[in-house]
Amino acid sequence: MSSTITKVAARTESLRKVYGEGDASVEALRGVTLEFAAAGFTAIMGPSGSGKSTLLHCLAGLDTPTEGHVFIGDVDITTLSERLLTQLRRDKIGFVFQAYNLIPTLTAGENITLPLDIAGRDVDRAWFDEVVDTTGLRDRLSHKPTELSGGQQQRVAGARALVSRPEIVFADEPTGNLDSRSSDELLTFLRGAVTDHGQTIVMVTHDARAASYADRAVFLGDGQVVDEMQAPTAERILDRLKSLEV
Amino acid sequence: MLRATVKSLLARKLRLVLTALAIVLGVGFTAGTFVLTDTALKSFDDLFGQVYANTDVVVQAHQAFNPTEGGGGGGGGGQELNPIPERLLPSVRAVPGVRFAEGSVQSFAQIVDPATGKTIQSGGAPTIGSSWSPDLSPFTLEPGGAPPVGPHEVVIDAGTAGDHHLTVGQQVRVVTPAASDEYTISGFVRFGSSNSLLGASFAIFDLPTAQRLFQREGTFDFIYVQGDGSSTPEQLAARIAGVLPHGFDAITGTSAASQQQDQVNQGLGFLRTGLLVFGFVALFVGAFIIFNTFNIVVTQRSRELALFRALGAMRRQVMTSVLVEAAVVGLVASVIGVLVGIVLAIGLKALVAAVGLKLPPTALVIAPRTVLVSLVLGTTITVAAAVSPARRASRVAPIEALRESTAPSSSIRRRVIVGTLVTVVGVGSLAVGLFGGVSNAGYLVGLGAALTFVGVAMLSPLIARPIASTLGRPFRGRIAGKLGGENANRNPRRTASTAAALMIGLGLVTFVAVFAASLKSSVTAVLDRTLRSDLMLTASQFSPFSPQLARGLSSSPDFSAVSPLRQGAEAKVGSSTTFPVGIDPATITEVASIEMDAGSITGLSEPNTVAVSRTEADGKHLAVGGTLRMQFARTGSRRLTVVGIFEPNALLNDYAVSLGTYDANVAQQLDSTVFLKYATGVDQATARANLEALVARDYPSVEVNDQAQTKATYVKQVDQFFAIVYVLLILSVLISAFGIVNTLGLSIYERIRELGLLRAVGMSRRQVKRMIRVEAVIIAVLGALLGLVVGILFGWAMQRALSSVGIDRLAIPFAQLVFMLIVAALIGLLAAIWPARRAAKLNVLEAISYE
Ligand SMILES: Nc1ncnc2c1ncn2[C@@H]1O[C@H](COP(=O)(O)OP(=O)(O)OP(=O)(O)O)[C@@H](O)[C@H]1O
Ligand SMILES: [Mg+2]
Repeated sequence: MSSTITKVAARTESLRKVYGEGDASVEALRGVTLEFAAAGFTAIMGPSGSGKSTLLHCLAGLDTPTEGHVFIGDVDITTLSERLLTQLRRDKIGFVFQAYNLIPTLTAGENITLPLDIAGRDVDRAWFDEVVDTTGLRDRLSHKPTELSGGQQQRVAGARALVSRPEIVFADEPTGNLDSRSSDELLTFLRGAVTDHGQTIVMVTHDARAASYADRAVFLGDGQVVDEMQAPTAERILDRLKSLEV
Repeated sequence: MLRATVKSLLARKLRLVLTALAIVLGVGFTAGTFVLTDTALKSFDDLFGQVYANTDVVVQAHQAFNPTEGGGGGGGGGQELNPIPERLLPSVRAVPGVRFAEGSVQSFAQIVDPATGKTIQSGGAPTIGSSWSPDLSPFTLEPGGAPPVGPHEVVIDAGTAGDHHLTVGQQVRVVTPAASDEYTISGFVRFGSSNSLLGASFAIFDLPTAQRLFQREGTFDFIYVQGDGSSTPEQLAARIAGVLPHGFDAITGTSAASQQQDQVNQGLGFLRTGLLVFGFVALFVGAFIIFNTFNIVVTQRSRELALFRALGAMRRQVMTSVLVEAAVVGLVASVIGVLVGIVLAIGLKALVAAVGLKLPPTALVIAPRTVLVSLVLGTTITVAAAVSPARRASRVAPIEALRESTAPSSSIRRRVIVGTLVTVVGVGSLAVGLFGGVSNAGYLVGLGAALTFVGVAMLSPLIARPIASTLGRPFRGRIAGKLGGENANRNPRRTASTAAALMIGLGLVTFVAVFAASLKSSVTAVLDRTLRSDLMLTASQFSPFSPQLARGLSSSPDFSAVSPLRQGAEAKVGSSTTFPVGIDPATITEVASIEMDAGSITGLSEPNTVAVSRTEADGKHLAVGGTLRMQFARTGSRRLTVVGIFEPNALLNDYAVSLGTYDANVAQQLDSTVFLKYATGVDQATARANLEALVARDYPSVEVNDQAQTKATYVKQVDQFFAIVYVLLILSVLISAFGIVNTLGLSIYERIRELGLLRAVGMSRRQVKRMIRVEAVIIAVLGALLGLVVGILFGWAMQRALSSVGIDRLAIPFAQLVFMLIVAALIGLLAAIWPARRAAKLNVLEAISYE
């Protein structure tokens, strides 16, 4: 994988996002320029309302920026039609949300293969097995989401995000609803995907301990990038956050 | 709490509109029926008023009872009255206070359209022949015309003339009981303000000509009297009655009008009841949709309701809030429904006119009763359907506000018990209604059918899951289809009750299809078994024709047997109405094989005898040698000796008498059918060609059919009738389609996050639409399957109940039922259009962050 280390999986160019119009308008992003290296695990942090989710949504093609560009690989997704954007999400992007990640009528296994089924692609059995084994959910594959714990559900969501080998996985507070043990399980799983399989992950989190699993932490404040940290640890992050909030 | 209700109503406008639509249509149809029939009644009222405007007193023969004029179409003009001897006219004229008195005769007269050579008849409207009354005419001559004078002139109603482009001075052929001849049109008449009397055609001759043509030489049907104003019509009538011999009445013009009005009332009463049934079915289907919608909404609002409860709202307040919502929806929908009904009545009026019943241009009659009944009905049904959801809402515990859960639903066990009970009671009252021989059977059958539908609907969630899974199987190959199938399965109650609404409409369609197929199959089988004639002469639209045709043919060497049959006059046995058949006992056995249980049909050649069907004989405990009393309108009660008991068949109704007995008691002495058998050795093709040429020239209304054609004609008539029934049932099917739209719409709203997730992970809009469509098709086909089962059951029960009157074969029209399933699937697809579009249009971001 060493040759791809320098490759950029996604990047933004002076991204601006304004919600609403006139006096009531809110500038959620005020010119964000960032790069996400392939096979890197980035944590995005910052106070509430600083624009983390907005950034992630713009990156994932779920929301259209007011100004600026978003590239996934070499493709400028701000110019894509709705149909192509949908296909891009299906084929190149994986998601893990904070909650409601799974379709209740499908089993865990079916939820994992959902993006492939939607695309009508064949499941790569070996890769599927590998992903499933790292989640430790092999014996739960035929269960419906309501029969799984919150942590298990999030790991299923993680497996789903990985199974189609997307170029990049976005996660918005994936541990937000989990206790510390379940959080650790999910984060270990995500970390493993990066280390062992060269997956690119961008994760929004409030939790310094969660961010410490990442290779790099980006700090947002008031819609702008205010700091960055390589190989963050929980203590350093907490210190940095304290200084930001003051 | 009330404020919250109103707010929640307004917040869900769309749901309100969709829910209300079901009630709007049902109420609309009901109100439309009332408006239409009231308007028709008013038109008739006005008309009869105009017809008798100049007439103070009418003299006519005494009638044993007032026969229902009616629905049955027919040649018209055939009053079931004894003739009045001409010599009574001078004595009536001599009564003090009489200014004018005129004799009048009426019969049928078919005008032949010179352009087509066919008799003119619009739909089922009568073709009336009448004599011209110079002084008391209810008709007004149009300018440029003259009254008919002499044996070669005729006056025609302006409506018929206008429709068929006839002109004064033109020659036109008119077929009357005694002749088929050409006449010169001397003028056109109108009826007060209207140029047509409800679509009937009129041919009016001068009195002597009319008497000859209608075979009333030396007699009248009526004497119309106008007073000189010196006494009231009542006094005048009493005075005239004094000079009349026994068997004749003098009644005032007003009461003659109201007598006719009564006859029309009865006919319209049937029409009203018939149409109302469809309106009620529509409302019944609407009730299911209301029930379903409110149930879903209560589920979706569980948390909100729980919050109210946590904040201190009483159970009763919660329940009231749901019921108030229902009442508002019901009332608003009913008000709109009444307006829709008025528009619908205009449409129905045009439709009825297209079938031949042209109502004069009277303003629509919107009776207070129409509005009241419609509003009460619509509102009550809506509230009643919401009671169970409201009770469920009131059982939401305050703690639910904190939990991720929904309103409790009744236990499966209770549902099974209640559902089974309702089904059993429904099937039971259906059975009693059909087989129990009780009075008011119609209500019992209706109630039984409704309860059966409700019971099956209650039980259907139990089977909805397996059936829906099976139905979903073909779609499982692709993810959108699979998800659609799973969605249909995820809430079996919701799926089942949505399907149940469709079940009702399609169940009734199936029932009608099975019944019609059984009827056709049974009757054609009976025709095969019974008919031995080679040819049958029948008149189009069942109107009878002159016996001269048969008389002429009986001397023809082409035919070995010529056997006329007469039918149409109403008679009474005990309190029940029947239509006896007049036959020629000497020839009937040559043209028909009639299975006798006892006695013989030839025994009818004795006067005052009757043959009775086995069913009727069993029901009335009649045996050969016994007597029965039959009451005729014209001659009153007659004692008839039973000479034979026959197996029910297609030709003879319950009672058969000889032509002699028939003519002795019935005024309208016309043939309805003539059966012919070729003589041996005759070239049949030539014989038929000659016959057809004769008929085309002199009896243009008569059709010549061989056996196969007779069967085909019969089948066509049945199909035409049931086509109307299908059209009326479409309304309920349409309403249930709205039910599917509504359920899908509400479900989407509920699954908004899920849709967002699917779109986020790359599901295309097209796939989302496909998913919704699959769900809709599964619901629709499930409803159709349930409808098929219930409908076939109903059809079978009906066939069993009517097997004694000759519907002795059960026929299940498989091709038609398969077609119906396909149509159901299409309905599902149509119903999915809007919800699918809505789901596909969802903003992904808003959907995933939706709280
Ligand atoms: N749909 C929207 N319409 C208007 N303003 C919005 C919308 N979404 C977000 N905002 C505003 O944009 C800003 C950034 O919001 P964003 O959700 O990105 O913050 P965040 O960093 O994810 O916060 P949190 O940590 O609370 O999730 C906030 O001020 C928010 O109020
Ligand atoms: Mg956020």
